[in-house]
Amino acid sequence: METLALLGQGFAVALTPLNLTLLLLGCFVGTLIGAMPGLGPVNGVAILIPLTFAFGFDAVSSLILLSAVYYGCMYGGRISSILLNIPGDEPAVMTTLDGFPMAQRGRASDALAISGVASFVGATVATIGLTLFAPLLARAAIHFGPADYFALYLMAFATIGGLSGVDPRKTLLSAAVGLMIATVGLDPSTGIPRFTFDSFHLYDGVEPIVALVGLFAISEVLLLLEKPLVDVKDGLRQKFRMPSFTVIAGTLWATARGSVIGFVAGVLPGAGASLGSVMSYSAEKQLSDRDGTFGHGDPRGVAAPEAGNNAASGGALIPMLSLGVPGSGTTAVMLAMLISLNVQPGPLLFERQPELVWGLVASLYLANVTLLILNIPLIGIFTRLLTVPTWSLMPVVVAVSFVGVYSISNSTFDLKVMIAFGVLGYVFRKLDISLVPLVLGLLLGIDMENNLRRALSISGGDWSILVASPISVGLYLLTALFLGVSVWLAVRDRRRDVARAAETARVDRAGQ
Amino acid sequence: MSGAGGAGKSAGPGPGSRSGADRGTGNRVVGAAVFLVAAAYTWTARSYTAPFGDVLGPAMFPTLVGVTAMLLSGLIALFPGGGTSWPERHRVLRQVAATLVLVAYAFVLQPLGFPLATALLIAAVAWLMGGPALGSALLGALAAPALWFLFDRVLGLPLDFLGSWFG
Repeated sequence: METLALLGQGFAVALTPLNLTLLLLGCFVGTLIGAMPGLGPVNGVAILIPLTFAFGFDAVSSLILLSAVYYGCMYGGRISSILLNIPGDEPAVMTTLDGFPMAQRGRASDALAISGVASFVGATVATIGLTLFAPLLARAAIHFGPADYFALYLMAFATIGGLSGVDPRKTLLSAAVGLMIATVGLDPSTGIPRFTFDSFHLYDGVEPIVALVGLFAISEVLLLLEKPLVDVKDGLRQKFRMPSFTVIAGTLWATARGSVIGFVAGVLPGAGASLGSVMSYSAEKQLSDRDGTFGHGDPRGVAAPEAGNNAASGGALIPMLSLGVPGSGTTAVMLAMLISLNVQPGPLLFERQPELVWGLVASLYLANVTLLILNIPLIGIFTRLLTVPTWSLMPVVVAVSFVGVYSISNSTFDLKVMIAFGVLGYVFRKLDISLVPLVLGLLLGIDMENNLRRALSISGGDWSILVASPISVGLYLLTALFLGVSVWLAVRDRRRDVARAAETARVDRAGQ
Repeated sequence: MSGAGGAGKSAGPGPGSRSGADRGTGNRVVGAAVFLVAAAYTWTARSYTAPFGDVLGPAMFPTLVGVTAMLLSGLIALFPGGGTSWPERHRVLRQVAATLVLVAYAFVLQPLGFPLATALLIAAVAWLMGGPALGSALLGALAAPALWFLFDRVLGLPLDFLGSWFG
């Protein structure tokens, strides 16, 4: 009941004219950005954050605008996945498996409507879960001391790469590089400058937003330059008609299952949206794929991952808001935005700024309804955008992100920092080093150091305080378990690759 | 700029611009570069002292992080694992050119003013991405003033119309 009353207050915040306008605008712009091939939610939100600051809205309004953009990008991302077979981000890959074959058979309207409804259901399930569980987790997190937070941050770094079989050394190195960058600037406790090379530009440290735009948007341009651009017009000669409601109704169970699986995957630290959509798809395939139609345009194969993807992105907001530890790339960007707005997420946020938390939750409900309405009848408008060639779209996006970064401090120094991060991001992405741990390290570094120093101040320099509480010991054990499993998976994959390469070589020799 | 950005730069578009996987050379080079930066970082961090403040002082946390980074990057440099496929040479040239265009933009934005500098930026990036020369130039000439109008006039972000070179 208390939650309902708070949610009611949240709706009062979200329904003010300014916030409602920003919400509608955010949903529209978000869908546009998401629909552009190659621009996913992370890029979209990262590019828009500095612009939002420049307009000087308060924290609640900025948060509502950017969350609407975030949700909008998730909806828009499915358009390029289905019509062009170009996923905007990692979780959208699963949608292409059955969505693109459907479009090739002239059932693009059905696929888009199914995925729209599935996105709506998934995101709504996640938002309800957020309403119910985030306050509970926040209440539990009140008992966390500085040593426990230090352990929690360590766990976040170890788990953010997920269990995807990526080299765990690279995930951890990326986090360490992020932490190194975070320590640049004046030391918060003693005020002495660290790693500033006597440049006053660096006294405030590296602005996370500048780094983010560079890491994601600029590196994307460099990646696009690697290959000649593909002409996409062929995929778009589709006639749009009314989607069939019986087909949508036939996917409702797949959607429901995908939503629940995705939500659970999203709440787990480190799993995030990619795992949510992958797990939903494979679970649905095992359960319903009796005739081998999955992968050849089965509507349920579109509904399940799309519901899972959206439910996971909503679920990932729970650890981000109540613990201050994001579980996925996009929620890491949302955290960057909150920190830049001087809002510190964590258990105290729910007590000190309930209007912000509940205003956000209420606006997520509203954004979902808005996006469903925008995405079913207006789909033709968004698909027309896909016919704009990339060579004319990306340069304008680059110019807009330059304007945003420049407007933060009106200094061209930030632009140079952004470009340097762009090159760094490109090299890291080429080497399969995930950028998300780097962003997380950059964002959480100062807090992590402060908690460590606070813990050791309490104990008078005795390091055993780090393992003195059952919470921190539990977190360390979980971290160790997770690292153990991911090292085992990485070694197994490597062995398999080597074995396969040897096999291929043998076959080649035999063939000659 | 912190050391990490320098590491990315020195690795540049990477060794071996042939297509096809490079058998871990990229991992080795970047691992070694990050190792050197982390070593310099750790070396610098040790010297930070403060006469007051907390028990741990300003040097401990950076030292912990730096040593961790040295350990991980050292491991990657020694045991690089899988290979990386780098783009073809003429594609790398395009990437380098695009990076130079972006850097040049940061230098000429204030002297030239927003619309002119941005028109050049958009035209150059569009052309490098494979747009037709005339189309790219036209795109820059149209989009840059439109962006200036949108941000400066409509949305109220101050952007100089003419730069310092025009008085």
